[in-house]
Amino acid sequence: MSASAQEINNLISQDYKQGFVTELETDTFPPGLDEAVIHRLSKIKNEPEFMLEYRLKAFRHWQTMKSPEWAFVNFEPIDYQAISYYSAPKRKEDGPKSLDEIDPQILEAYKKLGIPLDEQERLAGVAVDAVFDSVSVATTFKGKLKDAGVIFCPISEALREHPDLIKQYLGSVVPHTDNYFAALNAAVFTDGSFVYIPKGVRCPMELSTYFRINAANTGQFERTLIIADEGSHVSYLEGCTAPMRDENQLHAAVVELVAMKDAVIKYSTVQNWYPGDKNGLGGIYNFVTKRADCRGENSKVSWTQVETGSAITWKYPSCVLTGDNSTGEFYSVALTNNYQQADTGTKMIHIGKNTSSTIISKGISAGRAQNTYRGLVKVLKSAENARNYTQCDSLLVGDKCGAHTFPYIEVKQPSAQVEHEATTSKISEDQLFFCQQRGLSAEDAVSMIVNGFCKEVFRELPMEFAVEAQALLGLSLEGSVG
Amino acid sequence: MTTATASRYAAEYQTIASSLPGQSLPWLQQLRREALEQFSAQGFPSPREEEWRYTNVSAIEKKLFTPSLTLTAGYIDAEWVKIHQLDEAWSVVLVNGHFSAELSVLTDLPEAVLVMSMAEALASHSDKVENYLGKAAPHKEHGFIAFNAAWFSDGLFVHVPAKLVLDRPIQLLNLVSDSDAIATTRNIIIAEEMAEIKVIEMFIGTDCAYLTTAVTEVFVEKNANVTLHKMQSESDKAYHFGGCYIKQARDSRFTHHNFAFGGLLARCDIHVDLDHASECELNGLYLGAKRQHIDNHTRITHLKPHGISRELYKGVLDDRARGVFQGRVIVAEDAQKTDSQMNNRNLLLSNDAEADTKPQLEIYADDVKCAHGVTVGQLDEKSIFYLQSRCVNEETARNMLTFAFANEMVDKINIKSFHDKVLEQVLLRFPQEGVNKEWL
Repeated sequence: MSASAQEINNLISQDYKQGFVTELETDTFPPGLDEAVIHRLSKIKNEPEFMLEYRLKAFRHWQTMKSPEWAFVNFEPIDYQAISYYSAPKRKEDGPKSLDEIDPQILEAYKKLGIPLDEQERLAGVAVDAVFDSVSVATTFKGKLKDAGVIFCPISEALREHPDLIKQYLGSVVPHTDNYFAALNAAVFTDGSFVYIPKGVRCPMELSTYFRINAANTGQFERTLIIADEGSHVSYLEGCTAPMRDENQLHAAVVELVAMKDAVIKYSTVQNWYPGDKNGLGGIYNFVTKRADCRGENSKVSWTQVETGSAITWKYPSCVLTGDNSTGEFYSVALTNNYQQADTGTKMIHIGKNTSSTIISKGISAGRAQNTYRGLVKVLKSAENARNYTQCDSLLVGDKCGAHTFPYIEVKQPSAQVEHEATTSKISEDQLFFCQQRGLSAEDAVSMIVNGFCKEVFRELPMEFAVEAQALLGLSLEGSVG
Repeated sequence: MTTATASRYAAEYQTIASSLPGQSLPWLQQLRREALEQFSAQGFPSPREEEWRYTNVSAIEKKLFTPSLTLTAGYIDAEWVKIHQLDEAWSVVLVNGHFSAELSVLTDLPEAVLVMSMAEALASHSDKVENYLGKAAPHKEHGFIAFNAAWFSDGLFVHVPAKLVLDRPIQLLNLVSDSDAIATTRNIIIAEEMAEIKVIEMFIGTDCAYLTTAVTEVFVEKNANVTLHKMQSESDKAYHFGGCYIKQARDSRFTHHNFAFGGLLARCDIHVDLDHASECELNGLYLGAKRQHIDNHTRITHLKPHGISRELYKGVLDDRARGVFQGRVIVAEDAQKTDSQMNNRNLLLSNDAEADTKPQLEIYADDVKCAHGVTVGQLDEKSIFYLQSRCVNEETARNMLTFAFANEMVDKINIKSFHDKVLEQVLLRFPQEGVNKEWL
């Protein structure tokens, strides 16, 4: 394949397309974190008293914790005092009432990213909540959703308008004591999305949040809470990008999903944070806690993720299968190139009877990247007839990268059936030769094989995202063939 | 572990130090000193360490076991020992961690082959021992190896010269007869270029609480072939740590058959380092019942290209038993064309049994074929149905299938007398009804 070396070199130097910076006037806190910052944050957000207490409790707990070291990733210790915990574009007192009032610069930024904040646009079937640094700048189709009874709004708005729901559910899936980053998030989270689907409602459109980090020296701490009440159905998408910078930025989010009886939640992520340059400089640290609680009988939660960005990814979207007959699914494609590191996977905790879970994980490692699947399947004694099927495959592209599989399986119930399979291989010469012999270039052949490798996961993505994910995968891999 | 326990052991160490073998060897004294320092500082491993996540050894810390300073063969009934000795093998007997010349059978050994107790080897071949001791099992690895390095009282030393094929196996019989005793042994097995050898380690004890820590270091030189068998049938009250650390040179072969039946808390480490085009095969069977906790921890490191590794571990867990399997395969950056397969199958027979398994692949090379698979579950209902449709009642069908599940591992042994010994143990564990012994 040396013939295409030149072509590869051209491709390798391709830029991260979402790496632009939007020049804006912002309100930004000076770097540093103490209780005063949290007071100020809570005040700016106009939060009810109980929220401030919750934040302070979490902050005090966080101070007693140590940064975890068990993951298969390497990074310099983070200086939490050097990060600014709030940054928002300047706006008028009351905030924008309609799209027309949003800073045109921001609109422009989202346009560049291909995210329609304009309700007439191409992707008219998707309602978008756009989170820019620490605040949500716009939420589309609010009216239409309201007619269906669906609440879809920034979480800071939900705190003011639906405090009862927040009180009941926030922190009930991921408590502030859960882990180091969850505690930090609970203390300083700024915005995110809140979704409530009432009983028996099938959400009329896809919901989506687009996270954008723009300001330098900030961290993004978003919090998402989705509650699907009895018999409801929702599909939620999440996308993220950030500008190219030489320093690392921290993104520590918490996502909580609650599925009641017969409810279905489908949560898809296309994560494309800035991965750092080809020498491993810069990039986002993506340390995220995502967990779903299948509380009711027959409930179902499905996680689908395509992870192509971030310098370091550290996330384990999990399902706690509490309700009888509940189902958890996890479909993942994690692609790492250059110096990226990913330690990702899932946890399936079987508690209810006849619970089942499926894990399909595809890891692709290229350049000097390290890609780790880490997953836990735990079957408690109460989970009679629990069923799990796990498949994790790794594909290695290049001889300097690493692919690792660390599954943990703990079974306390004899009627449980747990299966785990893992393979690691590289693209075989035979496959490549076959494709090339049919007239495909080496690049196209690799892209085709990789897409085939990931097909099981892409099939789970909503259509618009599937197209984006495939393109993204092609782009991220380009230049690593050889 | 609490440093209190560590310092208790360390204090006691001073009283026994002078009775340990190899007093006149400065290098060994230094090694023991370093190991003791390390052990005093960190003690036995805690479940907070990733490699010990599922095994809590604090029960060992709560008791204070005492090493027996001298050979107390008087307590052992020679007839009882004979039952366990294999007909066709040379046999080395260690009682409470001390070599018993009386009970051992070492006649007709080929002259060039060295088979002797570790104490004797330290006296007569100390430079040879120095070259190997601690090289495959560095005491930095964890507390048990450090403990073993500091405290070992005896062991087995085997050296087979180049191009020599030993036609009979060597049996190492570890017996413990005293309550609250510690038997700490260190074994070294060296197979020089193109040599071939089979070794059988057996652990047996009388019905009391005691602790065995045995560390075996195996060096398989170029093109040599070593087969190691281990049958651990310690008493139900005993604690067992057995580590086997293997260094393979290029084109060598190593096979391990591991049977873990006994012990209240038993942990087995098997760590293999593979060089160019060397092969290893690890087979294991663990049967847990009552309140047993059986942990098997394997690590295969492919350091050079073209290595092949195969691993199959099976577990049957009944009552409140807990079976732990950790299998780690590491493929280093240079080790292209590695071919590795690992499988772990667990059968849970009771509502209170637990299986924890953690297969790991850590791969730094791209041109490799690596796979692992794990299952935890019950017998296949279709197979049971099939047998029922052939007029076998359900209970018998279950017995037959459970036995067959375990017997696959027993059938891999090709030393007749040892095979029969293991089979005997397996049959003891399962309900006999329906299992036709004539088939076996």
